Amino acid sequence: MTVTFRDLIAGVAAVGLLAASQATYAQDKTIKIGALFPMSGPGSYFGAQDKQGVELALEQLNKAGVNGYKFVVQYEDSSCAPLPATQAAKRLIEQFKPDVIIGEECSDATLAVMPIVEQSKVPLLNAGSSSIKVTEPGNPWTFRIMPNEVMQGVNLAENAYKRMNARNAVLLFENTNAGIGNAQVFKENFTRLGGKVLAEIGFGRDVNDFTAIATRIAGLGKIDVIPTYTLEGQGLKITQALAQAGITKGGGGDAIQIGTIWLPFGFEQKAGKAALGYIRIVQFDPTDTRDVVKDFITTFKAKYNADPTHLNAHAYDQIMLIADVVKRGGKDPQSIRDGLAATKSYSGVTGSVEFDKTNQNTKMDTVHYMETKPDMSWTSLKWN
Amino acid sequence: MTTTIVLQQAINGVVFGSLYVLVALGLTLIYGVLVQINFAHADFVTLGAFAAYFFMHLIGAGYILSIGVAFLVGGALGWLINASIFTPLRRRGNELLPLIATIGVSVMMQNLMLTWFGPIPYAFETQYSSQVIRFAGIFVSWQNIIIIAVSSVTIALLYAFMKFTFLGKALRAVSQDRETAGLMGINPNYLIMLTFVIASALAGMAGAMLAPVLVLTPFAGTSVIVKAFAIVIIGGFGNVEGTILAGLIVGLIESYTTQFLDPGLIDIVVFALLLLMLAIKPTGLIAERREENV
Repeated sequence: MTVTFRDLIAGVAAVGLLAASQATYAQDKTIKIGALFPMSGPGSYFGAQDKQGVELALEQLNKAGVNGYKFVVQYEDSSCAPLPATQAAKRLIEQFKPDVIIGEECSDATLAVMPIVEQSKVPLLNAGSSSIKVTEPGNPWTFRIMPNEVMQGVNLAENAYKRMNARNAVLLFENTNAGIGNAQVFKENFTRLGGKVLAEIGFGRDVNDFTAIATRIAGLGKIDVIPTYTLEGQGLKITQALAQAGITKGGGGDAIQIGTIWLPFGFEQKAGKAALGYIRIVQFDPTDTRDVVKDFITTFKAKYNADPTHLNAHAYDQIMLIADVVKRGGKDPQSIRDGLAATKSYSGVTGSVEFDKTNQNTKMDTVHYMETKPDMSWTSLKWN
Repeated sequence: MTTTIVLQQAINGVVFGSLYVLVALGLTLIYGVLVQINFAHADFVTLGAFAAYFFMHLIGAGYILSIGVAFLVGGALGWLINASIFTPLRRRGNELLPLIATIGVSVMMQNLMLTWFGPIPYAFETQYSSQVIRFAGIFVSWQNIIIIAVSSVTIALLYAFMKFTFLGKALRAVSQDRETAGLMGINPNYLIMLTFVIASALAGMAGAMLAPVLVLTPFAGTSVIVKAFAIVIIGGFGNVEGTILAGLIVGLIESYTTQFLDPGLIDIVVFALLLLMLAIKPTGLIAERREENV
């Protein structure tokens, strides 16, 4: 084999380029963020929308960096379930070695991951799990910016009883930690105020036929509110079945469905007229006039040609809050954990963030109420 | 407990039972002829649902026509996958290979659909979903009436095909004893292909009718397939009449479990029935005649 001068030059150039890239990599300071999102299964709409929010935040942050740091994200599919979530978390920690992890959305998955991040001493910033167990007792390495099931449930029960004058309720919930927990908190507080719960109906995520459930509810007598705790897909079918059975306003009945932060914007359009009168908590209010919200909506629309959902918003907030911690000196898992714990009145697009001793965000301005109008648009109720 | 509610739950049970029957019939046909479980069957259901959805929303066609399109898409895909994957593997003489291949096809189809259609649930609304007939406290949507009507006609046609046509009789002959049927001049390979096409077409059609009822995502079919397997076993593996009967029974069990017990107990009741059937009558409600391969 003969080696020509051209081959030699090419070889030297290749080695030079490789060395240069290694040197550049070594000089670049990066904050590695692991993202545990459900990318498959019934919760995969969470992951798809979370990723959009994350990518928008990265695009903005990495233009100039923060304190000389750039941000890189590695996504892992945690499937909204404990086993795949723990496997994904272990993969992230062993291979990617993140400085901080964001996710999961589903409480069962988050609860399964928490011991792993605690053992590895990597902070976990959660924005979508409502189970009280995430922060009580919680652990020093897990933080939550979303209002937990107690914060949402107490508020929802009080508003149902006092503002909506509801006295009879039927609870619909998926049989998960979050579903059962949210329903129980509502029940305790609604009955404490004097309301009555006529039935508690739990179901698995594999249930398809909600007509049978709607038929059962139709036989329960006068119902004022139906607190519903499900993922978007089953939520759609429940709303339609309740309307078909003539129970809710959308079907000519009197009952009003109420719910928590589980459903994204766009739910009403998919559910159609059946969703009329649905009142639910959302984590993001697009009518909020703060600059941070207006800028987020503008840039999101420019990038994706769509209106942002609360999932886009809280994923964006997670990255931006990490960037804020880096700005305050965070550079590795321990300092980022300490920085998160020291957060005071951070203003994100979903609301403010300030953690208590259990690492739960204490701010209630992340709880927004909206009501579905007859044209399937919605109105912000400004109840908080 | 009023008679109205009992009757309403019976209607609900028949509607969902009809859908289960359509899904389970494809499984039982393939098992009957090939003695093979098709783990990709759920994904044919899902693809049929998406075919109907896009036919309606991109072309603006009516729902009834889209059911026909899903039937054709399912059948065409069944032919393609059987010809390109299962038939070559079957020729190697190892019965395990096509079985494992059905798992591979399932995973591949799910991920392809995830890439093409994304993970966010689709709202498959038809003009019939919100049109509800109310009479004496009973309600039934036109969508559900269509499900019962189309399922009944399809099941009757399939039954007539199997009982009264030459091809149907040949299929049953292959199902009972493939080697002897071959000696009688029946081409088993042709009939295996026909079985796959019919089963996949039924799955596609079931998808189009399930889509407005269940949550349409790339994983939609998997939510009904486990029940469909249970129905096939309860009915008698490979037996069409048994599958129809078992499908309707499971649909009714689901409705009445929801009403009188708890929807969270549906799977426990259905699979308890499955175990009971395996213990008392392992051949299912109606046993399929089959010669042992010795």
